[in-house]
Amino acid sequence: MERLASVLLSSVLSAGLYATMAYGLAVIYGVMRIINLAHAGLMMLAAYVTLALNTRFGLDPFLSLLVVAPLFFCFGVLLDLTLIRRLPQGGNAPSMQSLLLLFGLWLVLQNLAYVVWGGDTQAILTPYTMSSVPLLGERYGVPLLLVFGVSVLSLLGLNFMLRRSFLGRAIRAVTQNRDAALLSGVNAARISAVAFGLGTAFAAIAGTMLSTLYAFTPDFGRSFLLKAFCIIVLGGLESFTGVAIGALVLALIENLMAAYTSIPTSFQDAISFSLLVLVLVVAPTGLPALFRSFSRRAVAR
Amino acid sequence: MSSLRVEAIDVFYGDVQAVWNISFQVEAGEIVTLVGANGAGKTTTLRTLAGLLRPRAGHILFDGKDVAGLPANELVARGIVLIPEARQLWPGMSVRDNLEMGAYTRAARAERHRTMQSVLEMFPILQKRLTQNAGTLSGGEQQMCAIGRGLMARPRLLMLDEPALGLAPMLVRQVFAALKEINGRGVTLLLVEQNVQHALRLAHRAYVLETGRVTLEGTGAALMDDARVRQRFLGEAGL
Repeated sequence: MERLASVLLSSVLSAGLYATMAYGLAVIYGVMRIINLAHAGLMMLAAYVTLALNTRFGLDPFLSLLVVAPLFFCFGVLLDLTLIRRLPQGGNAPSMQSLLLLFGLWLVLQNLAYVVWGGDTQAILTPYTMSSVPLLGERYGVPLLLVFGVSVLSLLGLNFMLRRSFLGRAIRAVTQNRDAALLSGVNAARISAVAFGLGTAFAAIAGTMLSTLYAFTPDFGRSFLLKAFCIIVLGGLESFTGVAIGALVLALIENLMAAYTSIPTSFQDAISFSLLVLVLVVAPTGLPALFRSFSRRAVAR
Repeated sequence: MSSLRVEAIDVFYGDVQAVWNISFQVEAGEIVTLVGANGAGKTTTLRTLAGLLRPRAGHILFDGKDVAGLPANELVARGIVLIPEARQLWPGMSVRDNLEMGAYTRAARAERHRTMQSVLEMFPILQKRLTQNAGTLSGGEQQMCAIGRGLMARPRLLMLDEPALGLAPMLVRQVFAALKEINGRGVTLLLVEQNVQHALRLAHRAYVLETGRVTLEGTGAALMDDARVRQRFLGEAGL
């Protein structure tokens, strides 16, 4: 029983980070109907920026979020104004051009990182990197708990912004019905720029937090990008709660597998990608839609 | 009050022409309706006037200024508001948020509390539904919410695409009564409606569209008496 409790706790802890990671993809997809393949590159870049701030100025990685997140928001807006805006607009599915452009952007970011920082493995060490706290009979690293706290705070902040401000509601309006948003006077180009900025900022927040947990190279982020895909497919791509549910399901499956089976943790990625394929076959519109159709059928009976 | 003058517009979807050289006008304070069968170009015309499509040729003069080709948000700011076909509410947002988002432009936003008050007076049922998600409303309530959202933008020219589509007869009467009241408050109306009888009775003037061209025009009453209109749209058998 205690083991199950600690599995659940670990799942919730990693779900926070997963949701932060996936939400950046979801907000961009929702507004612009493009899949940000450069997401991993942006996470990696944020990890290196965090490292630079840490070594150059001794800035704590979690405090550096106050610099990194706004910086990457601006970077995302700039990317939209210079590159993304030139893509053909208005389709309902991601265009081939957008996939190629963003994949290319990822490669460029990766190679820039090789030029600037070299290919050596880097890690950020803080006084608390090695310390841990006992919870439910297990010890949890302090960085992991801090990551969870920051994830929850940033997601709550984002949720508040999306629900209360006119700008946030405009983002949701474009996501739910683009034409209706345009007809209400929403400037679609401006909202797209903001959405790409937000998505980039959330990639950066995730990247900075990952840099406190893992060592990284310019290739960093690939398996996390695929996890984020898995989460938004599970969660159904367009809703805030969907992303949270997807993150929790993925984290639960990973942790349950690690605790109760002898499958080595190096197979974790294989598990999440099998799950991705399974969901695409069984419930291509995501789990929430599946539940809704079940309950509708139950009502019909 | 505001007048609209459409001069010889052509509209294409890609290479396919949907609207051919259409001209008509709506005088300040008027109710004008466009009638015609499916595919006659009515919705295309409204979407062009709202800035969702660009005309390839022709002029659209709103209060004397050419607004053809301006983006939708710019037209909303000038007072041209379209309530689109099939309501197009945001299903996952509350009725209150749907209405408030209607007042997105700077000028409308400043007045939104007062406008909301008058919208809720016109459609009291929305008051009870304010915190509900728009996706949970009935068809009639959704249409009232859509009209309310359009009014929140404080339109000077309000365009409606099939506001009575799929509604029960009693609700149709309610919607048309609301349109009359809106017009009475000084809003110019341009209406597209399959329910030709109701539309002609409400409208001061009407234009008949067929395969993307204007084929007839006249006062609502005159078209009601026109043999071709009666035969084609009012279900009267030919002799």
